[in-house]
Amino acid sequence: MSSIQVENLSVKFHIYHDRSPSLKDYFAGLFKPKKSSACSEFWAVKDVSLEIQSGERVGIVGHNGAGKSTLLKALCGIYEPSEGRIHVEGRVAPLLEIGAGFHPEFTGRENIYLNGAILGYTNEQLREIESEVIAFAELEEFIDTPVKYYSSGMYMRLGFSLATAVRPEILMLDEIFAGGDAAFVEKAKIRIQNLIAGSDIMITVSHDMGLVSTLCTRVILLKHGEIVGDGAPQNVIPLYLQNCNG
Amino acid sequence: MKFNLRKFVAELYGARNVLLQLISQQLILRYRRTILGYLWTLINPLLMMSIMAAVFSVLFNADLKTFTIFLFAGMIPWNFFSSVVTQSSTSLINNEGLIKKIYLPKIIFPLSLASALLIDSMLSFLVLLVMIVAIGGSVSWVLMFIPVAYTMLFFFSVGISLMISVATVFFRDLQHIIVIAMQGLFFLTPILYKRDALAGLVAGLVGLNPVLPFIELFRYPLYLAVLPSSSVVISAILISLSTMGIGLFVFLRCEKRIVFRL
Repeated sequence: MSSIQVENLSVKFHIYHDRSPSLKDYFAGLFKPKKSSACSEFWAVKDVSLEIQSGERVGIVGHNGAGKSTLLKALCGIYEPSEGRIHVEGRVAPLLEIGAGFHPEFTGRENIYLNGAILGYTNEQLREIESEVIAFAELEEFIDTPVKYYSSGMYMRLGFSLATAVRPEILMLDEIFAGGDAAFVEKAKIRIQNLIAGSDIMITVSHDMGLVSTLCTRVILLKHGEIVGDGAPQNVIPLYLQNCNG
Repeated sequence: MKFNLRKFVAELYGARNVLLQLISQQLILRYRRTILGYLWTLINPLLMMSIMAAVFSVLFNADLKTFTIFLFAGMIPWNFFSSVVTQSSTSLINNEGLIKKIYLPKIIFPLSLASALLIDSMLSFLVLLVMIVAIGGSVSWVLMFIPVAYTMLFFFSVGISLMISVATVFFRDLQHIIVIAMQGLFFLTPILYKRDALAGLVAGLVGLNPVLPFIELFRYPLYLAVLPSSSVVISAILISLSTMGIGLFVFLRCEKRIVFRL
């Protein structure tokens, strides 16, 4: 059984205005702590508490810069909480960006193994899924070509097929509804739906309210890093739309 | 800023597959589409050292054969150490794309770099060994000590690289400083010259050089064909373990903050 518990989570960023502080600034700062520093603080996620149980399908919505992706990355462990704590039970699939970690000089097949290892697949798993991934991406002819010669559609298809090849317990999706031609998009939708159906918990970040209302059972609305709405899609989505217009 | 050693080991073990992939990526990638391919790793240091041997044996008026062996024995550990240190300064920065998108134990980046360089170094050592035999150097059972010497050198170099890879994320200027600093350190390390050729202040400075025992670990068995003295071995063990300890401590303490500073 998977579950996610978040208590008073805050994530703070430093914004550097012109340059990174030099060694000189650093040592000067040690002795003169009150001197105005070269950076200012920014709370991307502020005091967020939530609990997600097994079986929930959660959509995180909000304006650009509301902290949606930061929250998702914190849940994946990429950002360490500045305050508060996160407890995740279950294997997380980090589906944040398709094709992250592809090496342009490597062939498609080599990238399946390299990127697959990064995604946490074992070698046996990769050998099992290799042919299925290649077939799904429709890249049989080009799989031994370096990916730098791929078209952007081919690149996307390979990344998508690989990232969605193994069913995780906890699925996190950051706007990854694949590109490519219409036929592939259709295929990809079905694959995503199967993946979601097989997962214990699904969390997605999206601006597509149609998608959120069909996929999710719960919607969380973020504004300036804080939760301002949490509940069933039919209750929270109007709040978001009202926020947009007002 | 607490850290948990057991969790760290478990995470590293979990990421062993990525580590192996990154190592092979590095070994394969450099020479992709070159005709000689991986042979460059072996040919390059060989040519480099041959040039140096030829130039400096004339300059120092030394016997070419003995000087070549002397120089090779010192250059092998130095080349490894120096490439680990200079290349590790960008090991985290170059992987920004991955670090920001997927959670991975960050130690795999400097560690994979050092491991790939270790494989390079050991292979070029074998080639140099063949060459030493070819020009009439002596080969004896004391060469069995070389793997031990490599182990200590590896620990020492990784310890330094952990500190430098993190420090460079916070102070980018370091990547340029390190290149110059390593150049200076090269001349403060008795590689081209014998340690007893020095006197006075410089001799004292060279005596404090932490790289020195590691050079001697290789030079005793290769050049003098004897085991290193126990004082050299003990100081190498102490230096390598303490460097590794400090390196791990610094790295794990700062690891969580790296992603915010890339």
